[in-house]
Amino acid sequence: MSGYFIFIILVLAFVLIFQISKASEYVSVLKGEEKSFKQSNRINAFMFILFMVLGLFGAWWCNELLYDRTLLAQPAASDHGEKIDFMLWLTIIVTGVVFLMTQILLFWFAFKYQHSEKRTVYFFPHNNKLELLWTVVPAIFLTILVGFGLFYWFKITGDAPKDAQIVEITGKQFNWMMRYPGKDNVLGRKNYRLTDASNGNALGVDWEDGASHDDIEASEMHLVVGKPVQLVINAQDVIHDVGLVHFRLKMDAVPGIPTTLWFTPKYTTAQMKEITGNKEFVYEISCDQMCGSGHYSMRGVIVVETQEEYDAWMASKKPQYVTVQEAAAPAAPKADSTAAVATATMSKPLAQLK
Amino acid sequence: MSEQKRKIHPHKFTLWVAIGSILMMFAGLTSAYIVKRSQASWLMIEIPVMFWYSTATILASSVTVQLALKALKKREMINYKRLLVVTAVLGVLFIVLQVAGFRQFAAQDIRLVGAGSNASYSFLLAISGLHGIHVLGGVVALAVIAIRALNSSTRSYSSVPLEIAATYWHFVDALWIYLFIFFTWMK
Amino acid sequence: MSSETISHGHAAEASVHSHDSHEAHGHDHHHEESFLTKYIFSTDHKMIGKQFLITGIIWAIIGGLFSVLFRLQLGYPDASFPILEDLFGKWAAGGRISNEFYYALVTMHGTILVFFVLTAGLSGTFANILIPLQIGARDMASGFMNMLSYWFFFLASVVMFASLFIQTGPASGGWTIYPPLSALGQASEGSKLGMDFWLISMALFIVSSLLGGLNYISTILNLRTKGMSMTRMPLTMWAIFFTAVLGVLSFPVLLSGAVLLLFDRNLGTSFYLSEIVVKGEILPNEGGSAILFQHLFWFLGHPEVYIILLPAMGMVSEILSVNSRKPIFGYLAMVGSLFAICILAFLVWAHHMFVTGLNPFLGAFFVLLTLLIAVPSAIKVFNWLTTLWKGNIRFTPGMLFSIGFVSLFISGGLTGIFLGNSTLDIHLHDTYFVVAHFHIVMGVASFFGMFAGVYHWFPKMYGRYLNNTMAYIHFWVTLVGSYLIFWPMHYSGLAGMPRRYTDWSNWQSFNQFQDMNRFISTVAMVVFAVQILFVFNFFYSIFKGRQVKSENPWGANTLEWTTPINPGHGNWPSDIPEVHRWAYDYGKDGREFIPQTEPIGADESKH
Repeated sequence: MSGYFIFIILVLAFVLIFQISKASEYVSVLKGEEKSFKQSNRINAFMFILFMVLGLFGAWWCNELLYDRTLLAQPAASDHGEKIDFMLWLTIIVTGVVFLMTQILLFWFAFKYQHSEKRTVYFFPHNNKLELLWTVVPAIFLTILVGFGLFYWFKITGDAPKDAQIVEITGKQFNWMMRYPGKDNVLGRKNYRLTDASNGNALGVDWEDGASHDDIEASEMHLVVGKPVQLVINAQDVIHDVGLVHFRLKMDAVPGIPTTLWFTPKYTTAQMKEITGNKEFVYEISCDQMCGSGHYSMRGVIVVETQEEYDAWMASKKPQYVTVQEAAAPAAPKADSTAAVATATMSKPLAQLK
Repeated sequence: MSEQKRKIHPHKFTLWVAIGSILMMFAGLTSAYIVKRSQASWLMIEIPVMFWYSTATILASSVTVQLALKALKKREMINYKRLLVVTAVLGVLFIVLQVAGFRQFAAQDIRLVGAGSNASYSFLLAISGLHGIHVLGGVVALAVIAIRALNSSTRSYSSVPLEIAATYWHFVDALWIYLFIFFTWMK
Repeated sequence: MSSETISHGHAAEASVHSHDSHEAHGHDHHHEESFLTKYIFSTDHKMIGKQFLITGIIWAIIGGLFSVLFRLQLGYPDASFPILEDLFGKWAAGGRISNEFYYALVTMHGTILVFFVLTAGLSGTFANILIPLQIGARDMASGFMNMLSYWFFFLASVVMFASLFIQTGPASGGWTIYPPLSALGQASEGSKLGMDFWLISMALFIVSSLLGGLNYISTILNLRTKGMSMTRMPLTMWAIFFTAVLGVLSFPVLLSGAVLLLFDRNLGTSFYLSEIVVKGEILPNEGGSAILFQHLFWFLGHPEVYIILLPAMGMVSEILSVNSRKPIFGYLAMVGSLFAICILAFLVWAHHMFVTGLNPFLGAFFVLLTLLIAVPSAIKVFNWLTTLWKGNIRFTPGMLFSIGFVSLFISGGLTGIFLGNSTLDIHLHDTYFVVAHFHIVMGVASFFGMFAGVYHWFPKMYGRYLNNTMAYIHFWVTLVGSYLIFWPMHYSGLAGMPRRYTDWSNWQSFNQFQDMNRFISTVAMVVFAVQILFVFNFFYSIFKGRQVKSENPWGANTLEWTTPINPGHGNWPSDIPEVHRWAYDYGKDGREFIPQTEPIGADESKH
């Protein structure tokens, strides 16, 4: 009901504006075009100055309201993130100065040089010095920004340290799956044709590769604070994107083309809770590439913890191969609940094994 | 009117811009082909023999269209009409030979599309197919000119339409030569 | 190139003759035109321009309405609007917009506004209306091709519109239609029939814009009147020329990408598909590359941004100069910067792909070229500012929108410096920062350019003025509203909030902006209502607007204002005027303006 009510009000407002507009047109004809032109010109010129002042105030106010909710208000949680934050601030300052300067000039000129009978315009078609000035100066500032940017870009996209922990993350509609290489620090080979989620092989791991036997699968990502980690990123169906806002990083997950990303987490989840003052804080993995109707819900969680906590967590995990084997053996007790395994249909992957 | 003679006819100019545009499309496709070639699971493609025949055909048609233009300019109308029809027929023959070439793949049990197809062969089909469509466009243009010429009620000696059609015809010819060399070279 | 084209291009034929020989026969506009040839299958560039404009306006209403609908979801995620269920049935069951519906709306909003409104509606309109009028030609090089261009656009529109009513919905994978999502019907409802419609519609659209672009280029290069050298052309012409070049060279590449996608979708090829398991189904495709499509797409997609923006820049340059009563500052620098932008536009596409696993060295190359675009952009901004400086500014509605354009171009352009720098793009890619950036710089700014053009040339199109009061309301609400909508979005972007999320409530990191989203949605609705006011003003004024009394209402120098108030087919009833000077002699030697047709005086000062 209220919808129709609003609709009627809108229509009435429309009619009102239209009538006023029409009337004002008649009035301007009666008053004389010249006079009404001058009047509206003065009003619009004043509006520009008003817009500028209120706009600058509004920008400040918006900043007051929203600044604390952005990541600018909290430190980056990775070493790469710190570099990116520095770049961000540098760019904000450079562009901010240009923004203020040009916008103020624009609206000030609009106001100052509003039509006046007395003014004769200054015929000023070109001036090479001025034009050179505003070719060279922006070029210099951009060179600085590009210089810093590329310096960090190569650092961030460079090779991961040798001792980096390897974690594989695979996106599918609409969740993330993690795999750890286990003790040998080598991820077992995969073949997408072996993918069989109902039989404990959601990732399509090739069990014939011995390196896969100690691989651990999980739905949550656990990382050690201060220890470099290299993510190996895959997708099964469509393009996803591993978005790690607190670490300031992201990388696409493309089916058929694995990508990588490395960083060093700086704070544990517990520390971040203190830093942000948010008891509910968690590191989240967002999907940042449109991947279908559940795109918005494709959430993953990262737990950054100390080495001890991490080791304890790892110890509680059973390699997926073992889980699958146990589930397959008819006499074995039911597999633990972490692996959603249908025991009855386990013969297929085993057949492939032999 | 002498000034107009020196200037390129706007329609001809338009055609040249259009040629640039079509070239961009094939440049896009062939560079995609090059990019893909560097990736794994790429198969070396064997150009079917039939493609050599089709290449010869389209080359011959370029000659006939040029002769037709010459005939028109000399007002040898009968010769002109004959050559026009021959060119169009050669164009159709080219398409037929191309299709026959692709049928040879089928005989060798190479899949161009569908399950088990390899992108290298699919590319060949997509690119030559698009080229074929452009040849067909040329055949339609020639056919329209030919019908006009055979229909004696509209007697026009303006060579501009045929000049444009001929330029386009040479272009699709050259484009095919480029593609043919490209595919052979890229082996 | 069919001979059809040639034989139907009488108008162009005639224009070549009369302009080269300067015979007095002009054009045979005496013969009666039927309704069909005058309004529907017209070959008159002015009518075709109007057809583009009005079709564009209809699309803009649809596209804008879609944004209002999805803003409802974003602003009021918990509320339910029973009226939506009445209107959209299963797409809004329970009065709440379903996820599929949301993504279809977003995708269609992008597609419609980028292609159908800001490409066809903007450059289609003004290229058609202005080119022959401003360079002094009777019509386009080929009136018939020009007509075809509109009708292909119309067909594309019909197909796209039809796709909205498909059972499984229109395309919903984002306007960039990245495969595999767009290639696999199993992955998304919108990737079923809707996607095929999308691709067919785009193919038709590409044909339309190629036919148009070819015509614009060859008209500008070949049919200029006597004395109209390239360097005497108004900047609108330069901008439209470069726009057409961009379109002609980049759209075919999108077409090739789309053809390969059609193959993958319907013929089981593996251009873009490799090693895919979708919803448990193992697909046979191997060896394809999803990234390949992105290269082909963005090779068009980035120039497309400039296809949208350049005509707006050109029109704004012209309108700023006319209404400051002052020459445009640095004409050659303006042309040069347009040229530089045009060249660079082809060399920066991969900056959309910094986080796809692109080779870092390649990435560095694209960073450099991308940020290089800031230099010609800066030149343009400072030249516009200097044009205003010491001018004598009349705030006509067109002028207001031009000043608004400059403001928005600065705001949106500066955030481009963030995103073009790959290091920052890692953080900001696909967040609301990007949404804010491109909406301001290419969406709203181009719309401002378009509005400026409509207000400025409406008297030429229809011989009447738009209502000024409504125009002022339209301008101020739109300007303020645009900043209110998009300024706060930068903040959510700086919080890392990803785009294309229907709902953030389950996220710890992104759920802090609910009040802001509600505010943005409210403002968006107000701004949309004001656009409807503009549309109303537009159609009302076509029939009932204040009549134009003089041939040259703005006191402008360019040739279109030397035609009659309502020019017929052929534009000038007698000879096409000869041009003796550039278009920007405003305020020279104490004279307010000197039309291009006036010969250089003996004692005229040089510049």
